[in-house]
Amino acid sequence: MKTSFLVITLTLLFLWYLSFSATRLDRLHHRVETSWANLDGLLQRRAAVALELAHSEMADPASSLLLTAAAYQAREAQISVRSQAESGLSGALGLLQNDLVDEIHPAEAALLKELSELTEKIRVAISFHVDAVTRTRLVRQKLIFRVFRLAGRAPLPVTYEFEDDVL
Amino acid sequence: MPTSKNVPMKSKGLKIGIVCPYGWDVPGGVQAHIADLSEYLISHGHVVSVLAPAVDESALPSYVVSAGKPIAIPYNGAVARVLFGPIAFSRVRQWITQGEFDILHLHEPAIPSISLLACWAAEGPMVGTFHAASKKQKAIYAIGPMLEPVIEKLSARIAVSEAARTTLTDHLETDAIVIPNGIYASRFSDGVARSEWSGDTLGFIGRFEEPRKGLSILLAALPIIVKSVPNARIIVAGPGESEGLLKAMDPAVRQRITFLGRLTEEEKADFLASVSLYVAPNTGGESFGIILAEAMAAGAPTIASDIPAFVSLLGAGKFGSVFNSEDPRHLASIAIDLLKNDSNLFGLRNGNGRGTRCASRL
Repeated sequence: MKTSFLVITLTLLFLWYLSFSATRLDRLHHRVETSWANLDGLLQRRAAVALELAHSEMADPASSLLLTAAAYQAREAQISVRSQAESGLSGALGLLQNDLVDEIHPAEAALLKELSELTEKIRVAISFHVDAVTRTRLVRQKLIFRVFRLAGRAPLPVTYEFEDDVL
Repeated sequence: MPTSKNVPMKSKGLKIGIVCPYGWDVPGGVQAHIADLSEYLISHGHVVSVLAPAVDESALPSYVVSAGKPIAIPYNGAVARVLFGPIAFSRVRQWITQGEFDILHLHEPAIPSISLLACWAAEGPMVGTFHAASKKQKAIYAIGPMLEPVIEKLSARIAVSEAARTTLTDHLETDAIVIPNGIYASRFSDGVARSEWSGDTLGFIGRFEEPRKGLSILLAALPIIVKSVPNARIIVAGPGESEGLLKAMDPAVRQRITFLGRLTEEEKADFLASVSLYVAPNTGGESFGIILAEAMAAGAPTIASDIPAFVSLLGAGKFGSVFNSEDPRHLASIAIDLLKNDSNLFGLRNGNGRGTRCASRL
């Protein structure tokens, strides 16, 4: 009698732990999705600003070409190569920002200001997203999550790689 | 009070819930930071509710809700006034449900107090701010895995200093964004020098009974300072029992020390404006050192121990002097140097009004 009681209690406890772990992973997946949505939105906005800059008077024809290409690449990239494409855009923007002429049109100055604010936000958004992704991947590697397939059919989150100094 | 000019509202105000893990009645860096942050957010049109343990509910500001009476437990080399238990947990839950917050801001969610409970109970966007800096302890190997599922609910983590960030990566293996604490520099720059605190005075503010605040080091340095600066005195402000300490002292030292007890914010500004030197001899366990930032905002020349938080705050000696931590002789020699050379002090007092004004934002 006593043993069966013990077995039931342990089973219940284990089931609770499984459900707790599943909730935990679900929450992490949710975090990855929201942090990605946030980052994606900011990156899209940056690409739009880059296109506007490319079409402004500030950019010479060559940089304009480079920027436009980089911005379109960034917008259309698959999620797995997105970080590479975005780094390319960061590089192109960096080139443009590195040799600015002294006199800038107010409209372009506003664009540049928006760009620097976006960059600041993107930096933070990337760190949130990277943290969420690494956490999720770490948790999914644990034995109990693999054995009981707690991740279900959710795709493994993609790491977003970036170089700190480029952005 | 902050200068609450009518800041134009950019968007609809958010409902922000802030959880303070430590008792509100006893002043401390975390509490002061939460109060400043709340006032800043309120002045920007947000609705803020702070949940904190408190002994005296009548003395709370309007935006603070009491979670019950705090319990004093030893933690990280000091006595922490925290709160947990089933009653506190249900109180936290009730506060979260009733508040309908858009975002929760939890302070120190890794210590056993109501922030941890809130992190456990709440769903939705949460930000955690980590203040403490401590060395890696064995206990963390046992606690770490238990905290993990709770801490990973936070959508964003903030560390108030590099030291706090290192602590976080060491203990919980997660990274954080460093946002230094902000202070309202103008509140301290308006201090008026009072004659009874002026002269060759060395100021000290803090809970002096705690060994890590390092008052004993300052006291040990006093006899050496007196040899060169005969009128040197120490003025100590902060809550605590001073009589026992005074009795144990050498009579020659005793008459050179004044205990003021706890100061109001205004008195604190005056105090910092009056003393010749502000000394922070803390031996460790300090993550940011908000009091040092306040002293700098008030323009007081500062001497601090060379613990990482202070060194980084003082710009590696640019904004104040540093001495070898726990070395009264070194402290004394720097203090003598500064006190004897008045022009030195004057230059420091004027060059220092830089003030760290970076009210941290969410």
